[in-house]
Amino acid sequence: MMSIYLPIAELPVNALVILLMSGAVGFVSGLVGVGGGFLMTPLLIFLGIPPAVAASTEAAQITSTSVSGLLAYWRRRLVDWRMGLLLSIAGVLGSVAGVRLFAAMKEIGQVDLLITLSYVFFLSIIGGLMLWESVGALRRKSRGLPPTRRKRGRTLAHVLPLRMRFPASGLYISVLPPLAIGFGVGVIAAVMGVGGGFILAPAMIYLLRMPTQVVVGTSLVQVLIVTSLVVVLQSTQTRTVDLVLATLLIVGGVIGAQLGVRAGANFSAERLRAILAVLVLGTGLKLAYDLVATPAEMFVLGAPR
Amino acid sequence: MSARAGLSTLVRAACALVLAALALAPVARAATPAQPPAAAGAASGLAAAVTDDVIAVTSDFRGARITVFGATPARRAPGDVVVAIRGPGAPITVMRKRRTGPLWLNRDPVSFADAPSFHAVVSAKPLVQIASTRDIWELGLDPAAQARLTSATPSDADPSDYRQGLVRLQRARGLYQEAPRGLVLRPGGLFKAQVALPANAQPGAYRADVYLFRNGRLQATESATILISRQGLEQTVYALAQERPLIYGLFTVALALSAGWVAALIFRRS
Repeated sequence: MMSIYLPIAELPVNALVILLMSGAVGFVSGLVGVGGGFLMTPLLIFLGIPPAVAASTEAAQITSTSVSGLLAYWRRRLVDWRMGLLLSIAGVLGSVAGVRLFAAMKEIGQVDLLITLSYVFFLSIIGGLMLWESVGALRRKSRGLPPTRRKRGRTLAHVLPLRMRFPASGLYISVLPPLAIGFGVGVIAAVMGVGGGFILAPAMIYLLRMPTQVVVGTSLVQVLIVTSLVVVLQSTQTRTVDLVLATLLIVGGVIGAQLGVRAGANFSAERLRAILAVLVLGTGLKLAYDLVATPAEMFVLGAPR
Repeated sequence: MSARAGLSTLVRAACALVLAALALAPVARAATPAQPPAAAGAASGLAAAVTDDVIAVTSDFRGARITVFGATPARRAPGDVVVAIRGPGAPITVMRKRRTGPLWLNRDPVSFADAPSFHAVVSAKPLVQIASTRDIWELGLDPAAQARLTSATPSDADPSDYRQGLVRLQRARGLYQEAPRGLVLRPGGLFKAQVALPANAQPGAYRADVYLFRNGRLQATESATILISRQGLEQTVYALAQERPLIYGLFTVALALSAGWVAALIFRRS
């Protein structure tokens, strides 16, 4: 078979399997409009790639898919650059903190636990919410009801000081909530090897009350800048980025995502979102089970100290 | 098959292409010259050699077979030959899983210095029938013997539990092997031992040691070296990641950015 040796992970993988897998995840992310990182990293871990290498290398794939996405939204003028850069500044600080945390946990041999726990936590929540929302949408659709409208109104962001105008989003809100959200997503991106779009987008809609059409494009600004930085930081501080694996992931992901965007018109987004939700929830539960079930082997190898 | 091979070539060619620029950078190559197999122990008459003294880890590396062969001096009573192949020693930490609330966490780390990264012992019959327990331990024929504890074990644990845990885990990864019937001994004193080096074996300087026992006592030893070295693309990528991590990181980002941009252009046109 097409075996290719990964120089940093120090093991061979089947290149075709990685290409197909990243292509499939890219396809789904192009179709549904979510980043694929939170699916791809656990899949790589299931394949036997060390979690630290999986998370760091996946950041490179997200960088490439977010460029294509951002260009598409930019052409349609659906990017709030001011908000995007504000989120990015906080995201940069967050990812620096995240890589520090990652390195510290690697030092004490707990980085795999940190990654697994983060996944269990976020996959369960995101999977649950996605399932809830998509089942609701499917039921409304089958009854012939219109999709629900988002409530408009004031949130904490409208009350806090240091307010600023965001013309592209038609908002006049405090800069503190975007900074806090950007920082948190930066930490998560560094630790989990994800773009964080799946947290960023709901936070922008529900906490900042940004118009839905500019949310994805704007979040991609932050995702692009933060994942680029994460790749550089993980390369210099933890040396866990595998360039050969990254190349395979980028090629598969970029092609898959473009095909997914094109196929989008022919699919029922709600049904697909429901399937994706089940997949996400299942992955989270599998990881959780492994943490709770009594292990067969009571010893484990850690990084040298 | 040909399509798959074609795709494979394409992927490798792509990797080679993007890395051509990197190869131009003056990255120091870990080109340790291959050492010739050690000269036969003339005094004892035990001779040993390996078929390949350099094993290249290239992008299609999927493990290798190491063959050690040789001859014992006495033709009538050849004695017992034991072949040990050992990889470079490295510090390693072993942790114990302990229940904390509902979760099983990795706790109580214990450090070992010089645990062999690879350890395979091949003989014609079980070691205990060949050598004394003391010799097995002192010659490092038991992988646990070479792993020196450098930190205290928790008060409720036995250090040997950790040692056995380490051996078990490395055995499961194929890095510690024991073949008590793997050695072929021909009449006339010729012997041959084969060890499958798994793909996850760490590159480095390996040693093949051959021990000759007679009536439970060590008569002679002989050794040869085997160099497992990354070569070509693998070496370029690894050396760059270790020695110029900033350039490596920036290059990876540049690759990701350009791939995304190019894809957007291509798919927009079509």
